[in-house]
Amino acid sequence: MTFFKNNGNKVPDHIHAAAEQVKAGGLDRREFLALASVFGASAAMAYGMIGLPTPARAQDAEPTKGGVLKVQMFIKAPKDPRLADWTEIANTMRQSLEALVYYTPEYTFEPYLLESWEVNEDATEYVMKLRPEAVWTNGDPLTAEHLMFNLTRWCDKSVEGNSMVARMGTLVDQETGKIREGAATIVDDHTVKVTLTEPDISFIPNLADYPCLVVHPTFDEDGSDFTRNKIGTGPFQLESFAVGERVVYKRREDGKWWGGEVMLDGCEFIDYGTDPSAAVNAFESGEVHANYETTPDYLDIMDGLGLERNEAVTSITIVARTNVTNKPYDDQRVRNALQLGVDNAVVMQLGVDNAGVVGENHHVAPIHPEYVELPKVPRDVEKAKALLAEAGAADFEHELISSDEDWHKNTGDAIAAQLRDAGIKIKRTVLPGSTFWNDWTKYPYSLTNWTMRPLGVQVLALAYRSGEAWNETGWSNKEFDEKLAKALSIVDPEERKTVMGDVEKILQDSGIIILPYWRKVYNHYQPVVHNYIQHPMQQVNLGKVWLEEA
Amino acid sequence: MQLEYLGITGIVLGVLKQFWPVWLALGLVLVVSLTFKKRLGLYGHLFDSGVGVTGILICLFWLFTAMFASVIVTFDPLAQVAIMKGALPGAVDPQSGAAYLFGGDRLARDIFSRMVYGSRIVLIIAPAATAFALMVGTTLGLPAGYYGGRIDSVLSFLANLVLAFPVILLFYLLVTPGIMDTPIPYTLAAVFFLFPIVFFAVLFYTRFKTRPERLYPLLGLTFVLGAWIYAGLVFDADPLDLISISPNQLNIFVAVVFASSPGVFRIVRGLVMDIKTRDYVAAAQTRGETPWYIMLWEILPNARGPLIVDACLRIGYTTILLGTLGYFGLGLAPESPDWGTSIKEASRLLRAQIHPALPPTIALMSFVLGLNLLADALREQSMKD
Amino acid sequence: MFSFILRRLGVMVLTMFALTVVVFFLVNLEPNLKKLAITQTESRATEEQLESWLTRNGYRQNFFVRYGQWLGVMPKQPNIDPATGEAVPRFRFCDEPSEAAYSGLLQGEFGCSTKFRVSVAERLFPALGATGILMFWVMAVMVPISLLIGVLAGMREGTRTDRTLSMASITTTATPEYVSGVIFTVIFASWLGWLNGSAASATNTGITFSNFTLPVMTMAIYGIGYIARMTRASMVEVMTQQYIRTARLKGLSFSSVVIKHALRNALIAPFTVIMLQFPWLLTGVVIVETMFRYQGFGYALVEGAANNDIDLLLGCSLISVFVVLFTQLISDIGYAYLNPRIRVQ
Repeated sequence: MTFFKNNGNKVPDHIHAAAEQVKAGGLDRREFLALASVFGASAAMAYGMIGLPTPARAQDAEPTKGGVLKVQMFIKAPKDPRLADWTEIANTMRQSLEALVYYTPEYTFEPYLLESWEVNEDATEYVMKLRPEAVWTNGDPLTAEHLMFNLTRWCDKSVEGNSMVARMGTLVDQETGKIREGAATIVDDHTVKVTLTEPDISFIPNLADYPCLVVHPTFDEDGSDFTRNKIGTGPFQLESFAVGERVVYKRREDGKWWGGEVMLDGCEFIDYGTDPSAAVNAFESGEVHANYETTPDYLDIMDGLGLERNEAVTSITIVARTNVTNKPYDDQRVRNALQLGVDNAVVMQLGVDNAGVVGENHHVAPIHPEYVELPKVPRDVEKAKALLAEAGAADFEHELISSDEDWHKNTGDAIAAQLRDAGIKIKRTVLPGSTFWNDWTKYPYSLTNWTMRPLGVQVLALAYRSGEAWNETGWSNKEFDEKLAKALSIVDPEERKTVMGDVEKILQDSGIIILPYWRKVYNHYQPVVHNYIQHPMQQVNLGKVWLEEA
Repeated sequence: MQLEYLGITGIVLGVLKQFWPVWLALGLVLVVSLTFKKRLGLYGHLFDSGVGVTGILICLFWLFTAMFASVIVTFDPLAQVAIMKGALPGAVDPQSGAAYLFGGDRLARDIFSRMVYGSRIVLIIAPAATAFALMVGTTLGLPAGYYGGRIDSVLSFLANLVLAFPVILLFYLLVTPGIMDTPIPYTLAAVFFLFPIVFFAVLFYTRFKTRPERLYPLLGLTFVLGAWIYAGLVFDADPLDLISISPNQLNIFVAVVFASSPGVFRIVRGLVMDIKTRDYVAAAQTRGETPWYIMLWEILPNARGPLIVDACLRIGYTTILLGTLGYFGLGLAPESPDWGTSIKEASRLLRAQIHPALPPTIALMSFVLGLNLLADALREQSMKD
Repeated sequence: MFSFILRRLGVMVLTMFALTVVVFFLVNLEPNLKKLAITQTESRATEEQLESWLTRNGYRQNFFVRYGQWLGVMPKQPNIDPATGEAVPRFRFCDEPSEAAYSGLLQGEFGCSTKFRVSVAERLFPALGATGILMFWVMAVMVPISLLIGVLAGMREGTRTDRTLSMASITTTATPEYVSGVIFTVIFASWLGWLNGSAASATNTGITFSNFTLPVMTMAIYGIGYIARMTRASMVEVMTQQYIRTARLKGLSFSSVVIKHALRNALIAPFTVIMLQFPWLLTGVVIVETMFRYQGFGYALVEGAANNDIDLLLGCSLISVFVVLFTQLISDIGYAYLNPRIRVQ
């Protein structure tokens, strides 16, 4: 069995084949880069294979040391990272607790706390090698034991809300709800080998997800609370954590970050609440240097303050999904009618101020490597009405439920207005975020947001396969399941595409979701800040950031 | 695509024109009122002072706006015309040729139409909830003030309990969506809506108990009407399907009645304690009238002046309360055009756009102001009596 | 007098008890407990996970047992670690002990805020301090202005000044905080750019004229009208009294009559009104603090309510009942003290 090491600049043949396709224009550049990096190509090599220079990260000036960077961001209560359900929660810890793998803004995967990984050809065995120079803030070196400890934590099903379980795939023993005996073994001090029972191409991408932060073995002894157990491997160490107010970090005292010298003296996250005008005030009065996210309706105002803007295309989205176990959504005609009654472009315009890419009512984004473009289905009010009448549901009053988060609500309102305009009776219900998620999989008709996942098959596997815990549509389609299972085991993207076209089409035709758009995300920063980027998964890593004036 | 705009004059004229049914109705009421001023008692006296006239005009303006809302509006308050998103006042919708008189909000809805429709929500809930609160507060305040002693202690304690509750916390706990899964709002509604029936039944019984020919029709009417409304509101089972209320609105309604009844209770109690020392009450007692007859037919009519004034102020207060609910996003649907929700929506984007915030704020303010002026004038007049 | 105060304090304790039972009942309704479990685990956690979290952390114990624990008449139980069977603290972030202990209200423990991840006392008292500062400035602005307006208007009833000021007072009472807040923000922050439309920085970097004026102004305006009208009514009544006329007839100047004789008596009624304004300020504080994002009592209350933070909400209710009833008591005592004709029975 051949193993392919990341950055080993040796890749399976299919990657070479894929490179040729990119050059021939048959494959998207982005999808190639993501895939090549999973299978061992360094960024330089991946770019080289398709005949492009590696994009130089802007190094316009000599970094200067000092200064405290202040970032405006929500500060939610800290949680055990594996329970984190908001990117912001992970971001408040990410400056000290670090991920194994980093998904770059160029849509490739880079080792982070790992020095390298190797994967076999059919993606069932992964060998992960840790950085030998990584040291915890308490002086302990990072070892394979620690990685085992974290893998075990991530596979623990008995912890309520452990979202890493789903990401670990077949590493989890479904019967005991723990890590499968012998699934992960320590090879040497810094190496762990993971064996999966089924091919899983998303294993490495999952390690780049936001809840996947590596904690110290003593973490659980302190109640799995980061504010109590502050031992991390990152560039900063935690000073104070006040929920809803601010989080203060200072540069780690021993200066032993594996990533090199940290320029900032420290960094702070400050909470200004949900009102974006507060953030504008904060920028104006110089209280912050950068923000976590700029909502689209505030882009112009922020630009007007002389700030720099970052943006990233993502596969963050929201779907208006019906639950087919409820009448009348068991009738495909009703579901299709709802799709036909809505113009996704208008929803995008009203919901997120056009900041995005129009969706096609199936859950694979154009930035995903396996995306296949389907023919556009335009809005057709007459047909929608005819379908509803045919299904005998013309007078049914739909109730579209969403959470009260701004863009969710606006998108819901826009969809409702479109349907109303199409002569379909609909009422809106908005629940506070804290209540909404009580029954999110059970509502007859509601909006659910999905965060960015690098591969197109990831959300499909989570949310649309029969019987999955997160299958909120109650939909079950044998053909879809089979095709998706096949797609999940096909390593070659081009080959996978042949299946994906069908998968997307089945999903689209089923009518279970209206997926109006894929979002773009933005942030702003003062010109004195350098290396502050917009990460497509909205992760904030401040280790390399520096301030000009200091 | 470039939008066309009306000038300021165009907007003003457009607004004036849209309100034509209101002007017509106001004119009619004014002419009639001024003609028969002498014969209209307290209401007629209101026209003596500038404050009174202003108060009446503002209140009637909003009343008629709510009544004729469907004629006044230029657009459906929930319809979104994508191109009008955030349009400035006076922008003309290229499709229909009609203007967004006060501009478009963030979701491309017509602010003018939303403001007008918002009046409907406010003017239905606020007076009705106030009426119920008056019923509850009066029915409990009368015996508390009249009997004193233990009844008074218990009821006052309960009233103070509710009054000591921070209003917002009360609403957060009572108006969360989850609570509709529990029987609490329905139980409260069942209790509150019982009060008017009991009130009128006792009212008629004490007066006409010796005259069955008057008593029975009145009691019958009370029970039939009461049961009908009760079934419609509490169980959502109106046989005629005329009266129904969404669980959300019922919830708000109940919470508002709950929060403002103790205030009424305190006022009624105080008034009763004052009035029960009067001679005519003593006279009625020596006549051997029953306590409830005295309370309802001797004391209550003499307390009506302050109570009317209080009712006016209280409708205003309830309007403010409704706005508060909307402002905290409790209860009403977020696309609901009511003023509180609109203010909340608009205030988030104040830095970007000002015009969506002003119409609902000014509407709410002017309505409450009208009620306060009316109350002031009523107080002046009743003091002269 | 002493027994009167004692009785009132007794009522206060009884009210607190009753109110906390009601709040405790409401926050322990099933949907609210679920809300709590979700915020504490993961927003997409399953039904079984929520149930297991609630059971493990003792939320499935008997209602009265749990109320007793909060009150401090029942011992709080630690959690049992399912893996090791050992007792572990329930909420580590509040340093809860790992053995059963009486640590409730009677022991001076307000419990643990699940939203802010600190003990309630640690969160609530600084918040109260912040609100206290806000209240102080509101009072400092509101009381003198409203008394001045009231006295000026009531001094000469029916004049143009009187009518203008009365009209202005009525207008401000018709303007709730969320309306005036929006209008002021539009004028002073958006158009003129003089003031900061948010007080978020007040918590972090301290109070400045720019970030604190709008909240104070917004709150004060709503109250000014009310107090001014009460003062005016009281002043009008005093000015028609016999002794004022006598003083005028003695040839004293109008201003000295007003200052030396009328004011003292005219200010008794407003004093009560001002004291009774505190409960109202408490509600106003919630709106203003949310609107301007000032981290005080109101903000804590809203955040607690939105996340069903049980112990924090109970703490908040206790404090507000205390404030309401205590100010009532003060106003009654003060009234009796200022007005010798009234004697407290």
